[in-house]
Parts: sequence; structure tokens; C-alpha cells
Amino acid sequence: MKFNLQKIARSRKLEYSIFVFILLFLYNIVFPMHDVLVLFIIHEMLVFAAAFILFEYLKDFFTSRMVQPISLVLNIGIFAAVIFLVASITKFTLSSNNINIETRNFISALFSILAIFILIGIVIFIFSSLRELFFLRQKKDPSVYMNTMLVFFMFTFFSNIFVKINPEYDFIKESFYVVSIILISLNSLRVSWIGFLPKKQKVYLILISVVLILVFSFNFGMISGDDSFETIVVSFSPGLLTLINLIMLYGIIFSTVLFFTTLFHLPTAEAFDRKREEVSSLIDLTKLITQVFDFKELAESVTLLTSKICNSDASWLVIKQGDEFELKSVNNIGYLEADELTKFILGQKYDMDEGVTIVTRHNLAPFVKNSNSQFNFDSIAFSCLMHHEDISGYLFAARSLEIKYDDDDRKAISAFANYAAVALENAKLIEESIEKERMEKELDVAREIQRKILPHQVPELDEYQFSALFIPAFEVGGDYYDFFKLDEENYAVVVADVSGKGISAAFIMAEVKGIFGSLSKIFSNPKELLVRVNDVLKDTLDRKTFVTSIYYVINIKTGKLSFARSGHTPALLCSNGVIQKIQPPGIGLGLDYGISFENSLKEMEISLNYNDILVLYSDGIPESKNSNFEDFGYERIEKIVSDSCHLSASEISNKIMTELTTFSLDNSQHDDITLVILKRLNNNK
Amino acid sequence: MADFNVNLRGVGSVSVIDVKGYLDAHTAPELENMFSKLITDKQFKVVVNFDQLNYISSAGLGVFMAFVEQMRDNQGDIKFSNMNDSVYNIFDLLGFPVLYEFYKDEKEAVNKFSNLS
Repeated sequence: MKFNLQKIARSRKLEYSIFVFILLFLYNIVFPMHDVLVLFIIHEMLVFAAAFILFEYLKDFFTSRMVQPISLVLNIGIFAAVIFLVASITKFTLSSNNINIETRNFISALFSILAIFILIGIVIFIFSSLRELFFLRQKKDPSVYMNTMLVFFMFTFFSNIFVKINPEYDFIKESFYVVSIILISLNSLRVSWIGFLPKKQKVYLILISVVLILVFSFNFGMISGDDSFETIVVSFSPGLLTLINLIMLYGIIFSTVLFFTTLFHLPTAEAFDRKREEVSSLIDLTKLITQVFDFKELAESVTLLTSKICNSDASWLVIKQGDEFELKSVNNIGYLEADELTKFILGQKYDMDEGVTIVTRHNLAPFVKNSNSQFNFDSIAFSCLMHHEDISGYLFAARSLEIKYDDDDRKAISAFANYAAVALENAKLIEESIEKERMEKELDVAREIQRKILPHQVPELDEYQFSALFIPAFEVGGDYYDFFKLDEENYAVVVADVSGKGISAAFIMAEVKGIFGSLSKIFSNPKELLVRVNDVLKDTLDRKTFVTSIYYVINIKTGKLSFARSGHTPALLCSNGVIQKIQPPGIGLGLDYGISFENSLKEMEISLNYNDILVLYSDGIPESKNSNFEDFGYERIEKIVSDSCHLSASEISNKIMTELTTFSLDNSQHDDITLVILKRLNNNK
Repeated sequence: MADFNVNLRGVGSVSVIDVKGYLDAHTAPELENMFSKLITDKQFKVVVNFDQLNYISSAGLGVFMAFVEQMRDNQGDIKFSNMNDSVYNIFDLLGFPVLYEFYKDEKEAVNKFSNLS
């Protein structure tokens, strides 16, 4: 919005200046001669207004774009040359045609007005450029000096009126002129921007400034000397001549200052360039810290920038991995050589208190003697990378020339090592978090797989309602349940619980599923089946892992069930609101692989009547804890089941889970939960 | 919160381990280390006193399963004593009493070893 307004204001200024120029042009057509004082004053004012408004327009024009100082100077030079050209051509055409100024015809009048307009434009452009250079790289606002100079320019401009009134008043003009020159000289000294130029541009600037001095001097000479060009300008407006005069003088003084300042800056240019390089390298590194998360890429950038920052021929970076220091990246040195050098230098046990340690060729003599590689470094500087008061790595820089690492180099390397330590630590952390994210994704996949190996749906039978539920404590769990259709009349149901939780339990759970799935097709007798399962598990379970399970086969015609249990929480049978624990004896799978297992197992037969409910669950339910570390307990489950035996299987399941959730609200689930409910319906009722 | 503590005592040739607090997947390694140490020291006769144990998880049970065979192979055993009812129920449900000896009193368990030798 603000920008738009400025833009409008600027375009208006352009319109104004065009308008004033047209006005000036018309005025000159109407009054070709303005010897009368009033006409003269009006004309002078018009000329000044035209120049001033154009200046205002150009000022905004420059401010709105960032211009390189060197190109500004170049522009000034080009336009100064154009003045020279215009002046020369004017002089040439006028003198060759030998036209008397008093009797000039209309065309030559037009021509001279046009030439003057161009002259005004160029001069103002030069002045605006000089003003722009004046404001360049100024920390404080120096506009008051510039404005004072402008005011005196104006005074000098209009003091011509006094001269016109009476040539004796010449001294007024002279004094304003002198003050203006003093101000010009003062303002010309503001050239601190030169210091910030690279050495190459400084050399270039010296050349340009020499040319500028010459061109401006020629122009100055041409304008102030008694010359036909001068006559034209004076006859148009004496004030303009004074103004041009001042600006040309400004050009000369400024160029001279430019020349000498640049010349004096030249010897320090290289040091300045180096500092700049250091600063920009640090900025690059800061960018890297925030943008590059790839550890390898970062390590390479760090070594490359290190070489650059302290004028080294080679550099390399070692990072602590466990107890070893591992070479991470090299720049301009062989991997093997860098590795050998690192081992040798770190083997010397230098005192690292100073931040940066310098190792000279002399210190490296034993290494050079033993090494096969061609050693051509004169000195090596290295600094440690600190992380939480531990050394996390070392940054090495090596020079082959006999130039010692000075204090600046040390500081640079030290600062760089600090930055690099932070950057590399960041990259490491990000890498770790990416790895963690990857693990989480893998766990998601595992969860999905586990969900898929559990039954997708419960058997749909006319007389029976099934419901099943599995909630792992973590992403995956060690609980397992399944339904098998053995034949038209017989179905088998299993609930198992692998000891432990998480991934390890989930792997065994998948295996258990495979074993039950395949063996249930062969052994229809529950006890025999569990014995066989135990036999198979012998080869895979480690000694401290066991699996509890409960398995039954139901004949859906008769409602008769045969049960076997291996260490699992007992099943609950609810008939008419009365709870009976179904707990046939049997030790957990994997507790014993001998005869004890088989001997411990007893089968149990029950029959399921209409509206009877059979609940199988894992110990995750009774062992759920509340904030006081109290168990949910078996009694609560039994009570819920007996209270809700009139409900459907899935409704009972929901009720148990709702109560369980309310109970353990403040405590996270710490074991897997499985709940499989069967209800026999009475469809004949 | 869920603290766990294990302490080793020698009663004659029998090592008695006092377990205290909550024995679960997080605290089981402590007990495991204790058993490993006993095996290195060739102490195969072990009584675990459960007097102050509040809770045991399946991971805790696994510790005994992992070491019992080695003890028994070396004419030793792991016997349990002073178990409260809730902890005993967990062992019982799994069928541990079929495979392990449980005693009301630590002395009783220790004596069982001496009677044998």
C-alpha cells in the first residue's frame, strides 16, 4: 500500500517536471528575449523549478532501487562524457554556421533550448548520482549537510538576479559561490563505501576516477571559459550556468577525493577482502546449520569452508564415533594421509586448552619419516569440536606454504569449529529423529500386519453370537485369539497370551497363530492339540518366554464344549446370572517341554445352554490398574458379566471395556487386552 | 512408584534372595543379574523370599524359568517362600506349583536343601 503511494507520488513528480519543462519551453517561445527584470526573474525561477523537480524525481528513482556504487560512478562518468559531447557539438555547429546569437533564427533557438534541456537533465542526473553516493553506507543521517549545500546552491543560483540588477552586486554571488565550494569539498569526503568494495573493484574505481577528473575538468573549463557554449547557456539563464558550474566542480572534487581515498584503501584491500570472506563463510555455515540436515553434506561443507576461511591448502574433519575418532570428510588431501595424520597428531596428546593448536613441520618430523606418503605441509592447525564439555571431534587445517597461522586464523578456526560442532550436532539429532520416525512407521506397519493376522470377523452362526476384541498396550502386542471351523458342527476358539509385550511378543504371537492354525486342522482334541503346540514351541521359545492359552471346541448342535487350558486366566461361564470359573488344570506353554506338561493338562467338558455366556480374556483386563495401583480384578469382571447376561455378546464386551476404561482412566494401559465372548441364543423362543 | 529391590543373603550353603516391590519387565534385569552372579559363583541352591513382593509380571516369572534348569543341572534348585496370596495366584494360574517348590516359610525351604545333601 505504502509502496503504491510512493509510486504514485513519484509518477506525479515526473508529470510535474515534464509540465514545468513544457512551460519553460513555451515561455522561451513567447519571450525569446528576457531582458526585462520581471521576465528574467520569472524565467530564472522556472529554470530552477524545472531543475529542482527533476532532481526530486531522480532522487526517488535512485532510492527505489539498490544501485551498486561502482555502477553509479560509471554512470556519472558516462553522463559527464555526454555533456562534453553535447557541448562540443553545440560549439561546433554554432561556430561552423557562424550564426550570430542576436540574430538566431527560430530553428537554432529550438535547437539550443533542446540542447539546454538535455544539459539540465544530464547535470541533474549527475548530481542525483553524487547525492546517492553521498548517502551510501552512512550510519547516521547526513542529510542536513546535503540540504545546506542545496540551499547554498539555490542562493548562488538566484544571486545572478542581483548581478543582473547591478553588476556591482557581484560579490554576493561570489560569496555564495565560495561557501558552496566549501560545502562541496566537505560533502565529497563522505566516501566510506569505498572501504567495502572488493579489491578488484577498487582498482577499477581508481581508473574510473582518473577519467572522471579529466572529463569534469574539461567540462568545467568549457563552461566557465569564454566560449560559444557558455554564451548560449548564459543567454538562456545565468543561474543555470552557475549551477552547472558548481556541479562540475563537485564532480572534479569528488573524483579527486575518490581517487586518493581509493588509492589509500588499496593496500588494506586484501585484508578487508579476507575478513569479508570470513564473515560470509560464517554466514554460509549459519545457513547450513539451519538448512542442511544431511550429516555427510554438512561435514563436507564444513571442511570446504574451513579451507577457504583461513587460506589453507587442505582441511579435514574427524568425528567421535563411540570411542574412536572417525574421518568424516576431507578437502584437498588424501583420505589415507588425513587419517594417518589425525592418528599421529591425536597420539601426541596436545594440550587443547588454547582452543586451537598449531603443529609445525618440526613436530611432525617422526611422522614424515615413517610415512610413505609424500608429506608437503608446513603447519597444521586444529581445534576440537565441543559438545556438552565433551570433545565430539576435531577440525584440521593444513598449509603447505611457510606462512604461519596467525591470531586471526586461530580465531577463525576456533569459531568455525564451534559453529561446526553445533551444526553437526543438529544434523545428528535430526538424523536420529528421522530414524525414530522411520521406526514409528515400521511399527505402524507391524500393527497393520498384526491386525490382519487376527480374524477379520467373528463366525456368523444362527444360534450363537461371537464378539472379539484386541487392544495392544503398545503398537503391537503378544495376545492372540482365533476361530477355526473344524467341520459343519464343530468350531474351535483360542485365546493365547505371550509373556512380555511389544515387538518381541508380537513375533511369537504370529508364530503361535501359525502353529494353532495348522495344528487345529489335525488335532481336534483340545488337550492333544496343546501338547503338540508345546512340542513345536520347544524349538523356538527362549527359556524365559512362555505362552498361556485357553482352547475349546464347541459342537454348535449340542452346545457341548471341551476345554483345555495352559496357564491362561480361567474362562467365565455365566448361566442365569450365575458365574462359574472354567479352569481346567494345565501349566503354561513353554514352562516345561517334558512329560510334566502333558501330565498337568486335564480336559474339561461343559455344555452351553440357551442364553449362557462364555467369556475368554487375557490377564490385561484383571491386571489393569487405576491411579492407586489397584487391580481391576477378577471380581469386577465377574460382576459385570453376571449383571449383563441378558445383553448381547458385543454389548457385554462394550460394557466391560467401558468400565475398564473408567477404572484405569488415570493410568496408561500396561498390558495387552483380549476379550472373546460367546453367547448361545434361543431362537426357538 | 514401582520400585524394586533385590538383596542376597547366605544361609549356610543356600543363597536367599529377598525380592521387594514390583517385579516387571523394567526391573527383571536386576534379578537376572543376581542369578547370573550366583551361577558365576557356583551357588546353585537358591531360595527366593517373596515376603515383600507386591507384584510380579510375566517378564518377572520368566527370570526363574531362564535359570532354573541350570540350577537343577548342578544339583541345585530355585525354591520359593513367603509368597502372599495375590502373587501366589499368579504363579498358580500358570501352573508353576507343578514344576517348582513353594514354601510358606523361608526356613522350611532352606532346610529342604540341607536334608537333601
